[in-house]
Amino acid sequence: MIEADVAIVGGGPGGYVCGIRAAQLGLKTVVIEADRLGGECVNYGCIPSKSLITVSRLADKVKEAERYGLKASGVSVDFVQLQKWKGEVISRLVAGIELLLKGYHATILKGEAEVVSKDRVIVTTDQGREEISCKNLVLATGTRTSSLPGLEFDGDLVIGSKEGLDLKGAPKRLMVVGGGAIGLEFASMFQKLGSVITIVEIMEQLLPGSDLDLVRVVHRKLEAHGARIYLKSKVLRIDKKGSEATVEVETPDGKINIEVDKILVSVGRKPRTEKLNLSALGVETDPRGYITTDSRMHTSVPGVYAIGDVRGPPLLAHKASKEGIVAAEVIAGMSSAADWKVIPDAVFCDPEVASVGLTEAKAVEAGYKVKRSRFQFAALGRALAAGEPEGFVKVISKEEDGLVLGVQIVGPEASDLISEVALAIEMGATVEDIALTIHPHPTFPEAIMEAAESAAGRPIHQLKS
Amino acid sequence: MTYSFKLPDIGEGVSEGEILKWMANVGDQIKEDQPLVEIMTDKVNVQIPAPRTGKVLQILAKEGEVAKVGQTIMIIDDGSGGAQPSAEIATLKPVQAAAPPQPQQGAPSQSILATPATRRLARELGVDISLVKGSGAQGRITDDDVKHFASGSPTGPPTVAVQAPRPAAHGPGPREELVPLRGVRKTISERMLKSLQTTAQVTHVDEADMTELVLLREAFKGSAEKRGVHLTFIPFIIKALVPALKEFPYVNSSLDEQSGNIVLKKYYNIGIATDTEQGLVVPVVRDVDRKDIFELAGEIETLADRARKAQLTLDEVRGGTFTITNVGAIGGLFATPIVNAPEVAILGLHKIAKRPVVRDGKVEIRDTTYFSLSFDHRVVDGAYAARFTSRVIETVQDTKKLLSEVL
Repeated sequence: MIEADVAIVGGGPGGYVCGIRAAQLGLKTVVIEADRLGGECVNYGCIPSKSLITVSRLADKVKEAERYGLKASGVSVDFVQLQKWKGEVISRLVAGIELLLKGYHATILKGEAEVVSKDRVIVTTDQGREEISCKNLVLATGTRTSSLPGLEFDGDLVIGSKEGLDLKGAPKRLMVVGGGAIGLEFASMFQKLGSVITIVEIMEQLLPGSDLDLVRVVHRKLEAHGARIYLKSKVLRIDKKGSEATVEVETPDGKINIEVDKILVSVGRKPRTEKLNLSALGVETDPRGYITTDSRMHTSVPGVYAIGDVRGPPLLAHKASKEGIVAAEVIAGMSSAADWKVIPDAVFCDPEVASVGLTEAKAVEAGYKVKRSRFQFAALGRALAAGEPEGFVKVISKEEDGLVLGVQIVGPEASDLISEVALAIEMGATVEDIALTIHPHPTFPEAIMEAAESAAGRPIHQLKS
Repeated sequence: MTYSFKLPDIGEGVSEGEILKWMANVGDQIKEDQPLVEIMTDKVNVQIPAPRTGKVLQILAKEGEVAKVGQTIMIIDDGSGGAQPSAEIATLKPVQAAAPPQPQQGAPSQSILATPATRRLARELGVDISLVKGSGAQGRITDDDVKHFASGSPTGPPTVAVQAPRPAAHGPGPREELVPLRGVRKTISERMLKSLQTTAQVTHVDEADMTELVLLREAFKGSAEKRGVHLTFIPFIIKALVPALKEFPYVNSSLDEQSGNIVLKKYYNIGIATDTEQGLVVPVVRDVDRKDIFELAGEIETLADRARKAQLTLDEVRGGTFTITNVGAIGGLFATPIVNAPEVAILGLHKIAKRPVVRDGKVEIRDTTYFSLSFDHRVVDGAYAARFTSRVIETVQDTKKLLSEVL
């Protein structure tokens, strides 16, 4: 029997970060992971997909290399080597997490956890059953891919994102069902690796909920490179014939049949709570099954906390990590709480889409008098010199005092650019503050400064609107 | 396991209270039901007992801070492994026990202009940052604003300097001291001002001959002591008030502006203005028409004692229909007391002294005093108030009549 101050069920970006922080604070900490430390993010999501996306972008760049005077011939993608390298990246990160946890004297238990009561967890490890008696319990089990009826995963023809990252080659014809963040990343990536892409999305736009101005740029680029995108459409039937299938899709213009070699379903995720014994614990969930908590991660049961995906959308690793820190600090008696103003998000499609704070529509809805300003990457030296002229930065600010409410970016390195704005919003910065801050030249972040200058009424590298 | 101690629902209409005093510090062991925190509501100081036995982990609402009902004000480690949320405060109204937390997935502090580090400082100091007034541009809240708020001053130093110009720009000079307006003092200041600003107050003063009452009190003193109570003049005055209030019902009323009605009250709950260390509080003696002077004396004594110890419950300070204030022990001729709104009148009692009085054409030395009746002229006219006061004085002066009332 292990006595612990904190038992954390799940070693993903929420759980392992919570574990590090709790151990740092002197709490006797146990992190339980059924699969591999790092969770979905490190093993089956963010990290491996970025490895593949990096290579797909390189391969794509080389295709147009002649334009830049770069002569390259015989370029091809060796999937075996690519997958090997991807695996190395993951292993290195997982080993790093383990090192950190151990270095701070947290105990790692590998095995399936069964929550018996709020102070008792049984873990089935390779060595047998291990019982943990804990003063505090943190639930960090995350989410898993959900499927659609008629589109059940078969591990071969119909796959989810996890299998999609393990493919031994680019499918000739890939259908992506669900045009959200994950679906679009796969679509852009496999398009660059040579697949013919079809996207079927039930809503009326890709990346539902995102600013349509941004989505349009991605949508057009996918189509320009041969993708067929069916909005307000759904898959009716799949006829499997050996290694390929005919998919019947209902579109607003009628039913059509599409021949494909692979169907990647990315229609959302659902909380992973089966083994948590929630109803017996008395831990409350929302109608979708996500655990409800307050801003200090307390669930409805004293001593039980929930962090990350399992407490509901947005399903983002960086949110999970911050919540893990909050939970650990709250357990240690600190006054921490989730009081961030914004949670940035980034989609690694092509071009990248990143957003933080309010969109124009949401700001208007919230009753703000909104000022919108934009700056096109096509007018930015760095973007042109990088051969990445697509997209723009859009700054949403308060008309009366210039307070930055939100920024949306579609374009090169959008995922990296967004952090500056997240900080600006947390600090309560105005467009003047950003405009008056020197941004090094020539860099992509200048686009944010230019858009802010425009919002402040004195654009330099664009004409006054 | 930790237990979130939320500010309980103290009673009707009370949605928030100021933390006056914590009776335990972080790290202290506390026992269920021991007095834990003193809360000042807009009506009264309330002592709230500890909901659990355990160790104080954290105090989230600092002294001087205003906490909303349902807000977590303390985290207690109740030590028990399998503690279930249970009814929280036994002596107060039942409250929601550990209400399921609201999912807060969004941005709880979107409109607050403060940096993340300042927001964290606020949490550490137990300050609800939404209550802090920012001194920076566009209302930006600085670390200093948070610290000043935590130390009890609701506004930052610049505001203090502006409101009270003094040589030193920051804080008082060596010959001055800043005392934060809070607790009972704050409530008094708000309520007194409100009373004067929202009612039309007039004071009527009349003279009363107390000679017979002085003798009557002497006569009853012995039997009162046997009952263990100290008999002052107030129970007698209360008894003299009852028939007058019955005869002049508008004095025992309140004005409901919203509905446009004067509410005549057929019950007689007399507030007794009581001087305490924290300031003036007004406990209420209920249904005085149904109690004899000994019961009244006993109750007044108990209430005054509880008031001085800041132990009054909300029920003990609300529902008054008329108030008495007595500064006779200190001295003075007469005064213009402020009506304890929403009541309509207040009677000031003053020093009883031997004074020359003309009776039947001769000067005699008698025990006399002055009665100061302040009233709300919106409801009661001068003549009516004068007649009421005369009626009270008549009863006070007529021992036979009073005797039929007092017992």
